[in-house]
Amino acid sequence: MSKVLILESVSKSFSVQRNRPLTIRELLVQSLLGRESKKHTVWALRDISFSVRQGQVLGIIGHNGAGKSTLLRLISGVSYPTRGHIKRFGRIGSLLELGTGFHPDMTGRENLLTAGILNGLTSRQAKMLEEEIVEFSELGEFIDQPVRTYSSGMYLRLAFSVAIHFDPDILVVDEVLAVGDLRFQQKCLERFRAFKNAGKTLVFTSHSIDQVKNLCDEVVVLEEGRMVMIGDPQSAIDCYNELMRERTERQKARVFGKVEEQAVLAGKQGKRLGTHEAVITDVCFYDTRGRAISGLGSGEGLTVELKYRIVNPVGDLALILGIYDEGNTKCFETHIPSFREAFGSLGKQGSIFCSIPELPLLPGRYYLNLGLYPPDWDYVYDYHWQMHGIDVVGKRLPHASGIVSLNPVWSVCNGNEDVAGR
Amino acid sequence: MAIKADGLADVGKTGYLSLVFRGFRYYRGFLSHQLDLLWHLVKRDFTLRYKGSVLGILWSLLLPLAQLLVLVFLFQRVIPLGIDAYPAFVFTALLPWTWFSSCLNSAGSLFLSNRDLIKKPGFSPCILVGVNTLSNLLLFLVVLPVLVIMIVAFYDKPLTPYFLLLPLLLVVNVVLIWGLSLFVATLNVFYRDIQYIVSVFVMLLFYLTPVFYSPGVITEGYRFLYNLNPVAVLIQSYRAVIFFGRAPEWGAIFIASVLSLLSCVVGYVFYRKKLHEIVDYI
Repeated sequence: MSKVLILESVSKSFSVQRNRPLTIRELLVQSLLGRESKKHTVWALRDISFSVRQGQVLGIIGHNGAGKSTLLRLISGVSYPTRGHIKRFGRIGSLLELGTGFHPDMTGRENLLTAGILNGLTSRQAKMLEEEIVEFSELGEFIDQPVRTYSSGMYLRLAFSVAIHFDPDILVVDEVLAVGDLRFQQKCLERFRAFKNAGKTLVFTSHSIDQVKNLCDEVVVLEEGRMVMIGDPQSAIDCYNELMRERTERQKARVFGKVEEQAVLAGKQGKRLGTHEAVITDVCFYDTRGRAISGLGSGEGLTVELKYRIVNPVGDLALILGIYDEGNTKCFETHIPSFREAFGSLGKQGSIFCSIPELPLLPGRYYLNLGLYPPDWDYVYDYHWQMHGIDVVGKRLPHASGIVSLNPVWSVCNGNEDVAGR
Repeated sequence: MAIKADGLADVGKTGYLSLVFRGFRYYRGFLSHQLDLLWHLVKRDFTLRYKGSVLGILWSLLLPLAQLLVLVFLFQRVIPLGIDAYPAFVFTALLPWTWFSSCLNSAGSLFLSNRDLIKKPGFSPCILVGVNTLSNLLLFLVVLPVLVIMIVAFYDKPLTPYFLLLPLLLVVNVVLIWGLSLFVATLNVFYRDIQYIVSVFVMLLFYLTPVFYSPGVITEGYRFLYNLNPVAVLIQSYRAVIFFGRAPEWGAIFIASVLSLLSCVVGYVFYRKKLHEIVDYI
């Protein structure tokens, strides 16, 4: 298939003097005194080359500040590369940062008409699509309210509906789907698939590994403005995780000077990763009556105690707890984005409890993977992978497999007369 | 982008004649779309301007009228200038002046206040300058009949065929305003002081332009300077064709046209040079 998007060694730099433009006075002072402003150039993207074929879904992953959003802005033509060329064939639609793209004082309807005309439609064509868009966005009567009154979810719904309905050949989506409710997200993902099946091209970034795995044909991994790799989703995700590990190692070396192996929790198997600025010192399991256990019956309750210690003062923590089976399939995962927001101030050390009233897992061995992260999830303080195993025991249901233990009750309605009657 | 892709994508396979044809179709399509866009944005500008105000478009009438009242009071009662039909005389000049000054005063913040449009792929920000120029022109044209009625009915001055020269003056004026506004709008993205400097400049220019006085009272030596001020020349010409019903000074108009074109070219070249950076700064 033909290529619809070609990037040839694209670089983008921003000159950062301050966080605001120069005023005339500063300019005059500088030119009179002959002092060069201390302009230092930050390269947001360096030498990115790849191409996208028609009908492909390209994912872009990378850490915060890796240059994903800048790259998407360049691809959609909102901003221009400092060096290199971008060739596009076809109409571009984009769904970039929320909060731009619509005028806050105009109503949703007025905004969508403007967007339509900007997308190359005549006002008549845009009016024809209007009802369809309003319906898809599910905004109802809110469509005639000014956009500034919208919640971020409503804003996203309108922006997405507008972007997908004006029939672009290439759709560029920044990780905005995160704010929509799950049902609308699902609707969007379905729409993406239909879009792809219609031979259209999609370029998007996401933090959700699942979305990347499920949707993408090819994935670009960015790290500090450079393209680390382009390839199939699985190897890209592996690469991304590897980068995360390297970053963690670097941070650890920076914090503690030399990388030292800490022999806490010796004797346990599994893997441990992190800078150890904050550490998980121990993990204990209790049953509903508060007794320490190493196994429990299927469907019984479980309380996990996580003892932590802050080694290097950190402002806040994010915390993740996942239950995985032996094949490393995720059964359940939950996280707390900000310790401070959830529990208030962060002590030097302490315990965090997580109670799960019922754990309806099929009998087998499971692992609790726990992690402490900085709130921006940039690297890892401490992550325990397959270090804390727990056995779920119970009568194995015959002829059942999977993860969740459900109690199926089979019955049959073999009504011959019923069938005959119909 | 889209049109480019449809129209000029595979040049290699086609002959020159069809290329010319395609090029023509491309530009016609492009132009009609740009006009459509321009018109839509002008309407949008109007909606935004009067959203939530009770009097709406009337405000645009009230401002020059209030200014007119003050000027008439000042220069007919307090310091009489002794100009015949003074209210109509001032109003003829005040309307184009209001157009010019409100365009330039809003030019500075033009790109900054329309972030939503500038951050759309394929949108060229210079359209906003056109929108601003045109929507202020529309206000001028809305009030124009009031002025004409005032001149004809109250002061008994007939309209002459020279009135038909008005579109020519409007075109020159549009070119001048567009060029200056584009320059100001672009520069203000990088140096935010510009909009304040411009408003001071516009205020001073008001006194240097024969809006409320007649240039006849200026001494010979300074006359030549007036001809170099395209706003003054245009205002005098509006006054000639609408109020006096006589031919404007063609030589002065020629100079003003050249200066307007020059401002247009300078503005556009500067804008093109900075275009790629505008988005990053906004």
